Amino acid sequence: MQIAIASGKGGVGKSTITASLLYFLKDEYKLVAVDADAEAPNLGLLLGVTEWEEEREHIGAKVARISTESCIRCGICMERCPYDSIYIDDEGNYVVNELTCEGCNVCGLVCPVPGTIALEEARSGVVRKATTKYGFPIISAQLDVGRPESGKLVTEEKEWAKKVMEELNLEHMVVDSAAGIGCQVIASLGGADVAILIAEPTPASLSDVQRAYKVVQHFREPAYLIINKADINPGFTALREWAEREGIPILGEVPYDRAIPESMVMLKPVVEAFPESKAAKALKEIAERIREEIIG
Amino acid sequence: MQIAVSGGKGGTGKSTVAVNLAVALKKLGTELTFADLDVEAPNDHLLLGVELTNEEPVMQFMPRFDYSKCTKCRKCAEVCEEHAIITLKDGTPFLMPNLCSGCRACEIVCPVPGAILEGQRLIGHTYVTPTPYGFTLVTGRLREGEERSMPLVVAAKKKAQAVQKGLLFIDTAAGTGNTVSKAVEFSDLLIAVTEPTPLGIHDTELILELGKLMGMPTWVVINRADLGEKERVYELAKKYGAEVVAEIPYSENIVRSYVEGRPIVLTDYPEAEIFEGLAEKVLKFLGGGE
Repeated sequence: MQIAIASGKGGVGKSTITASLLYFLKDEYKLVAVDADAEAPNLGLLLGVTEWEEEREHIGAKVARISTESCIRCGICMERCPYDSIYIDDEGNYVVNELTCEGCNVCGLVCPVPGTIALEEARSGVVRKATTKYGFPIISAQLDVGRPESGKLVTEEKEWAKKVMEELNLEHMVVDSAAGIGCQVIASLGGADVAILIAEPTPASLSDVQRAYKVVQHFREPAYLIINKADINPGFTALREWAEREGIPILGEVPYDRAIPESMVMLKPVVEAFPESKAAKALKEIAERIREEIIG
Repeated sequence: MQIAVSGGKGGTGKSTVAVNLAVALKKLGTELTFADLDVEAPNDHLLLGVELTNEEPVMQFMPRFDYSKCTKCRKCAEVCEEHAIITLKDGTPFLMPNLCSGCRACEIVCPVPGAILEGQRLIGHTYVTPTPYGFTLVTGRLREGEERSMPLVVAAKKKAQAVQKGLLFIDTAAGTGNTVSKAVEFSDLLIAVTEPTPLGIHDTELILELGKLMGMPTWVVINRADLGEKERVYELAKKYGAEVVAEIPYSENIVRSYVEGRPIVLTDYPEAEIFEGLAEKVLKFLGGGE
């Protein structure tokens, strides 16, 4: 089974909750974890991973380059670049901003001087694997700063995870997705059997989780909700009402608990660092429900 | 002038800092336009307590094939870096619209005039919203199910530049990819909001790296400064030549103002002073304001 965790909004506790759920589920099930936030990968850190056993470069991004020698400075490339990624530098040369180029090659196609603009392959980042101290493997990725197409890194992570599942005879993949609803999240949710949404009771988080849920609906996946920091905004009922209206079962509510940031500093899931904390107890019940109602 | 607020990790308080700093700057007399370029999860309107207005669709080019003119040469499919055009055995092209980035490479290479026609599809919206704080909010909002946020970041930023009065003040998405670099591009100052947990610190390094690659002066604001090891943020900032300009403690007052959509800088809570101090520092940086 493939379980994807998403939230729309960042910082609502996806990785914290994922790490804790993995901790509870690891003994009973054979799992692989995927940290599908290639732009800000944190799940490995939370699971105490300090070294990666295997790292593969991902050469996928393409970046245009303009040869200043043959460039006749006509400016057509700059005019036609759909992403405004070509500028004139202090010396009057046309230059591609590699940190915003999408690699579409329109500049190369419109350039009147053959051989002046070339599309070159560039490294977009790394995909890597480790075995956590809890025994299950984790696949993670790190996009190079300013590169496009982090979604492709996520797709590659999931393919690697599938191979690891075959090799080690594992049953379940747990995918911790990125913030947002773009390519990384779509790559995370695509192919999942179940989506677990995480939200906190604030208008911003509600707005974003509703958007993430629309993406889940595109894939026709069953969705569940976990409410994090459930007590920070008493009187805010709109999140629970929305879940009820949509028929999204609420797996549980995790209270705001300083044990969570403190456990982060210790680089441990909160349920391991502070098993008696109120957050840990709530997470234990949620893991129980996942066992009974989702994985079976 | 242009200032961008970013941070790498999600949920570090980018929007809280951006909204309060913008309100404080306006209070000090700085004319500004606020751009919410977190197009996948735009929330600044909620923090400002306004409803988005003046919706405009963002349409993106997509090729439409006139099969009576198409010579089935396959050039369009070959040139498509997104592999959004597939061809049948005989060369007849078909578009998979979700993969199309709207770059027009196919149109450029097509040798037959009129074989590729102008098609369009909706990828999201921009909004231009007046706020009660004396500045305009420009928001980009990606349509759910769209994979590419870059075209919408470009469209929303252009919209903001078109209505810009005074300083362009930008709030970005989480992450460190090219959509974030597009949002912060051409900023005179990058403000990275972080939290002092190992996760926040890890992602801060990425955003400082981005600031360095883009050659921008970078400031660091430590949010929830009492939850973690803030010394490590100072060390990291020093390594990248960035200045730590403010520390914000974890505060229930800030949480409350956040959920109520009322910037804390307008209240009498002591936390308001942090943002006022930061705004004065920004003013000084801008050279007395614009």
